[in-house]
Parts: sequence; structure tokens; C-alpha cells
Amino acid sequence: MSGRIHYLAVPAIVVGAFHGYAAVYHTVESAQKACFPEAATFVSADVKLSSQEMKAIEKASGVRVRLENQKIWKVEKNGQALGWFIVDEVLGKHEFITWALALKSDGSVQSLEIMEYRETYGYEVRNADWRAQFVGKKNGARLKLDDDIKNVSGATLSCRHITDGVKRLLALYDLVLKH
Amino acid sequence: MTSCSSTEVRRCRPLLGTFVEMTAEGHDAESMNRAIESAFVAMERVEKLMSFFRPDSDVARLNRQAFREQVMVNADTFLVLEHGLALSRASNGAFDFTVASPLLVQMVQRENAPLPNLPGDWRDVELLPGNRVSFRRPLHLDLGGIAKGFAVDVAVDCLRATGVESGMVNAGGDLRAFGPRKYLVDIRHPAFPQAMAHRVELQGCALATSSPCFTETERNGQRVSHLVNPLDRSSLLGHRSVSVQAPECWLADGLAKVVFNAPLLAETLLEEFGAHAFVLSA
Repeated sequence: MSGRIHYLAVPAIVVGAFHGYAAVYHTVESAQKACFPEAATFVSADVKLSSQEMKAIEKASGVRVRLENQKIWKVEKNGQALGWFIVDEVLGKHEFITWALALKSDGSVQSLEIMEYRETYGYEVRNADWRAQFVGKKNGARLKLDDDIKNVSGATLSCRHITDGVKRLLALYDLVLKH
Repeated sequence: MTSCSSTEVRRCRPLLGTFVEMTAEGHDAESMNRAIESAFVAMERVEKLMSFFRPDSDVARLNRQAFREQVMVNADTFLVLEHGLALSRASNGAFDFTVASPLLVQMVQRENAPLPNLPGDWRDVELLPGNRVSFRRPLHLDLGGIAKGFAVDVAVDCLRATGVESGMVNAGGDLRAFGPRKYLVDIRHPAFPQAMAHRVELQGCALATSSPCFTETERNGQRVSHLVNPLDRSSLLGHRSVSVQAPECWLADGLAKVVFNAPLLAETLLEEFGAHAFVLSA
């Protein structure tokens, strides 16, 4: 009856930088189309935040503002405002994410798309005993893993920093874009 | 006919507290995008119904009221309850979604209250005609152990119904492949999430991984994680993960907990459900 559970011992210590994993889901154009399929024009309306504005957004949202330049488009059809399209970046624990937020003309959230997802790998765990076995070996202390990774199962990554990003951009809308 | 002009569309959105990625393969990008859009909407619906945190979810309503009165829930919620109770029965309670982690309960209560220890368990959940539910004793229902997997199944059904040939839905590591295409999946190292520890190939089946070590923390002087052993109500701890490969994702998700809590019994159950498990320990 045995054999349904496969027990695998994995190295307790992992040394070296492995690979970066990146997935590109959208270009700016395809994200715009996904968020506003009916829109005719996207008018660039980039914003450079002053330090006062950055502070005000932090205060209103409770989220740190990292970048002063924000890529924003005003979305229109036949001269009628449909809303806003904002491209943003957030840093997670191990991941770097470019994403887009679409707002309706009243400032409420229309939709959200992840554009690019990257996980950076530069992990090193120092352990003298384990490293000792590689002394005198070339390239020994480096575990090389395949670059072409498409699907990952395991520790669930939290999307809380995106939720924080939404709060921050809604505060930006209130303070800078509205009116 | 071979689909030599097959295109692949991949999209990703934050959902269910994590990142949900969908891959759809078919003849034209436009209809793949539409299919993915509708699958995301279907998953959002599951999240709204089964979230532990949303005060208006079926789960929150049950936790507030089902001990006092019968509560009517959505048919999907009812189905997940049926699935879960079947798994509880088959595993003698090694899977039990009525024993929520103290970590979750505290996140909802938002205070460092003493760890709650409600006496109820899965045997106290009564499923009644008309999608009604009542609890015989107070308990904390938490569908987190299978609802994410169920949401993946719902999305897969939706993609297939809208004409997608092959695809993959991955909700933060609980994933399912469908159609003729084979997908490679890497399982994260249970101690170092940036390292991949094992690779499996999936065709037309699901894989779900559970591991306590990324939520392990200290509360009121006790080590706790989001995973609980319902048999003695202790938090699961340590650098290990369980991945279960099964025909459907809710099942893979639920069976992973059984493998953690009752590995001997799990052998029989895995056999019965046509599933396999990979236990990774560092």
C-alpha cells in the first residue's frame, strides 16, 4: 500500500545566487486595452510629485511613497473622460512587480492588471561546515538551477503590497488628479 | 486537426490574498483574453463568498450566526462544505476546516486577545436542505484549506467552458493544469522560498503545496503558523512542505493537510482519490 507519499530530503543549506524568474503579462498598450477595451485615446498625463505631495499621500494612505515620477494616462473616448490609467511598481519581499491600475472618471477602481512579475534571487546562507566541503572545488558552492521556470508551487506570496499600492494611488488621485 | 496556429495568453492578478496567474492556449488571443477575464470574475466571486476576513462573506456570516440559527449560504459555499466534511469523515478529522489557526482568528480580531479555543469541530457542522447550515457548538470555520483550491477548479471549469484547449491556473502555488499540454512545475524549497527544490510534470491534474514555515511566528509566547493540526490543535511548524497531486485542486489542497497530520492514513486516502504526495523536508 505504500508509495503514494514520496519523501524527499532537500539541502538544508542553500548557497549562491540562482536565477531570476520573470513573467511579462502585459505591455503598456495591452494593459491599456485590457483595462479600457472601449477607449479611443490615452493622453499622457505623467505626474512628478513634489515632496509635499509625497508626504500628503503617505499621510492619507499610510503607505510609503517611493517614487516621485508616476506614469499616468487620461483615458478618453470622443472627448469624453472615461477615467485614468496608472502604471506603478511595488517591491515585495522577494519580488518586483510592475502593475497597472485603471480608475473610472469618479476615481473608483475599474480594474487592476499585473504587467510584469520578477523574483530576484541572490540568496546566500553562510554556514562554515557546509561550505567547507567545497573548499578547493571550482564553482562548487553554486547550485545552478534551470532558468526556464514557468510554474511554481510552494510558499504563497502575499499580495498585500499591491493592496497598499492601490491605497497609495487612490490617495494620489484624491490629492493630485481629481478636480 | 493540429492547432499549429495556437497562441498562449498569460495574465496575472492579485486575488485570494496572493497572485493568481492564468495561462490559456487556443486559437486566437482575443477569445483567450475574454475567457481569462471571465475566469477571474468567477474566482473573485469565490473569494467574496469564502473569505475569512470579509465581514459579508458566507464564512463570516456562518461564524457569527450559525451557532444560534440556520444560515443560508451560496450553493458553491455549500458544495465546499460538503467536500470538506467528506474529507474530514474520510480522514477521521485530520482535515478539519472548523479549527482555524489562532493566527487567522487574531488577524480578524486585530488584538492580542488570549488564543481562542472553541470546542466545536467538523462533526458540529450540520448541512441542511436548501443550502442551510447550522453549527451545534461555536467554532471558527476557515475554508482557507480548500477554498483556494476550489477557486482554481472554478476558474478551470470556466476556461474550459469558454473554449480554451489547454491551460493552467496557479493561485499562489495551488494550481491545476488542463487539456493535452504538459506543464512543468517547480516546488519551492521549504526553507528558502527563492530556491526550487523539486520539479514535477503535470498533465490534466492539480498540485497544491502546504508549508507552515513562511507564516511561522510567535504570539503570546507560543510558536504558531497558519496551519493547525486539528487532532491536538497545535500549530504545524518546521521546515517542511507537503505537495499533493490530485485530479482536482480542492482535493489536492485538502489532502495536503491530511498528509501533514496523519501520514499513515493519508496513504490510503491518496490511493482512494488517485493522488500522490511529495514531502519535502530540509
